[in-house]
Amino acid sequence: MNTTVTVTKRLVNSFEQLAPGHRACLGCGEALAVRLVGKALGQNVIIVSATGCMEIISSQYPFTSWEVPWIHTLFENASAVASGIEAGIRALSRKGEFNEKTKVVAMGGDGATSDIGLQALSGALERRHNFIYICYDNEAYMNTGVQRSSATPYGASTTTSPASKITIGQTTWKKNMPAIVAAHDVPYVATACASYPFDLMSKVQKAMNVDGPSYIHILSVCPTGWRSSTESVIGLGRLAVRTGIFPLYEIEDGRYKLNMQMDKLHPVEEYLKQQGRFRHLSPEVIASIQTRVNADYAKLKEKATRS
Amino acid sequence: MNGQQTTEFRWHGRGGQGAVTSAEMIALAAIEEGKFAQAFPSFGPERRGAPVLAFNRVHDSIPIKIRSGVTNPDVVVVLDPGLLTIIDVMAGLKENGVLVINSPKSLSELKKDYSGPWNLAVVDATKIARKELGVPIVNTTMLGAVVKAVGIIKLESLNGPIKEHFGARAPSNITAAREAYEQTQIAPPVKTMPKRVEVLEVLPSWQEILPGCVVTSPGSAKQYRTGDWRSKYTDFDYSRCIKCGLCYIFCPEGCIEQRPDGYFESNKYYCKGCGICATECPKEVISMIEEAS
Repeated sequence: MNTTVTVTKRLVNSFEQLAPGHRACLGCGEALAVRLVGKALGQNVIIVSATGCMEIISSQYPFTSWEVPWIHTLFENASAVASGIEAGIRALSRKGEFNEKTKVVAMGGDGATSDIGLQALSGALERRHNFIYICYDNEAYMNTGVQRSSATPYGASTTTSPASKITIGQTTWKKNMPAIVAAHDVPYVATACASYPFDLMSKVQKAMNVDGPSYIHILSVCPTGWRSSTESVIGLGRLAVRTGIFPLYEIEDGRYKLNMQMDKLHPVEEYLKQQGRFRHLSPEVIASIQTRVNADYAKLKEKATRS
Repeated sequence: MNGQQTTEFRWHGRGGQGAVTSAEMIALAAIEEGKFAQAFPSFGPERRGAPVLAFNRVHDSIPIKIRSGVTNPDVVVVLDPGLLTIIDVMAGLKENGVLVINSPKSLSELKKDYSGPWNLAVVDATKIARKELGVPIVNTTMLGAVVKAVGIIKLESLNGPIKEHFGARAPSNITAAREAYEQTQIAPPVKTMPKRVEVLEVLPSWQEILPGCVVTSPGSAKQYRTGDWRSKYTDFDYSRCIKCGLCYIFCPEGCIEQRPDGYFESNKYYCKGCGICATECPKEVISMIEEAS
């Protein structure tokens, strides 16, 4: 029997999937996202975790922070292991040896999702396994010391794309991971951010009820790697959404739906200036980021109106 | 202390405080003087706020081949006074070594608990850093205290490495180090050993561990006290609280709990002091207070 806590008149599952005492940095937006996801998932899940921050901070051998069955895999094969577990559950159910409706959830960071684990994820999506894939995107390889990934945004300074006199840092644009997943024609794709906890939890619950693969891309503010203050984590997530840099939307059976209709976007500068990784950007570069964000958001809006 | 033997340093700090940079600066200063030196950190996956270690070895004339961590240091430096009560910083400290502590307390106050068969040096580096640098980051400030207490490196030798590392911010860092050098107070060794911090870590023996790295007790990492990482703690003023629960939902640790009377409070055993709850509280119920004050 689950107990609940009332938060702003809404009932929230009091179950903590990730026990306190985990070793995430203080103010970790990703640990917060995992916690909220856990509240939405409940206890009848098996979690497959790729290598990354969430693995190292929660599984200091011989202890674990997890309150649900959890398995650690390599960077590249979280989706493959999840596929195997899901196939195993189906086989046992067919034989009548297992009658639970246990959901398999694979999770990884942006590196494990958009770089190293992309082909295993693509395979699992294509084979239509009944699982949820959750990408906790903190926009670089944070646990090894902030190396750039394909999800690192344009202009960000990381240890492998350092800003200097001759370069602005990361010179490529963030890979559009939700669109790549949507191209597999999966039933449910969504973006979310822990700064909007109820939106995030309702998306996870929706994914729970999907029969087939579903994908949730969660922007996770990382004060350590983004070089921002720890108390501004929630505010930064909100700004990412309101500037249109990380819009919240869902793709249900190919139909786009914007969760927050914004007629006027906040200027991207508001978001960028709070982070040390963007501190070096000139007004011209910021203007070019603004142009790109506006164009991307317009495209997304158009997709939403067309479908 | 002389340079004819290898002098080993152990730095105790928190992730983000710059213990690693401190160690690097000492090594570079020693190398600048023509000595041989090494500097390296040791920490787990945790970053900001968690206790970390950094090490140095310095020798006047012979290259240093040993590469392991320092267990019997000649010099122990404590960057954060909060660590004194949770870590046995004096572990393995050699006789006639040096223990350098950053603390707002005076030497005579600290003598009682930390004097032993070693020299005890104390400086209020946080105060100096706040004054000179505007932030409570004490890594360069403490360099001045260490140079004074250890006496094998000259204060001037730090200037080059600090300039190289800090660029435009170097002058204020050099001033802070010099001020610490002047203000450091040192007490000579005494015969008695002080009371030590007992560090309890319950680890299962190898016979109890299952093959294949299987862990069968859910949530067992709960015993890990992340509250030790905290530099600020939460203070709730319930007179304004509307019990909305936003502090609960936005806590990355999951350490804010609802009491039977409906009010929320943070569990100090786990709270790392990130300040998210204080920022997100719509009624300004929560304030963050410096741990040392």
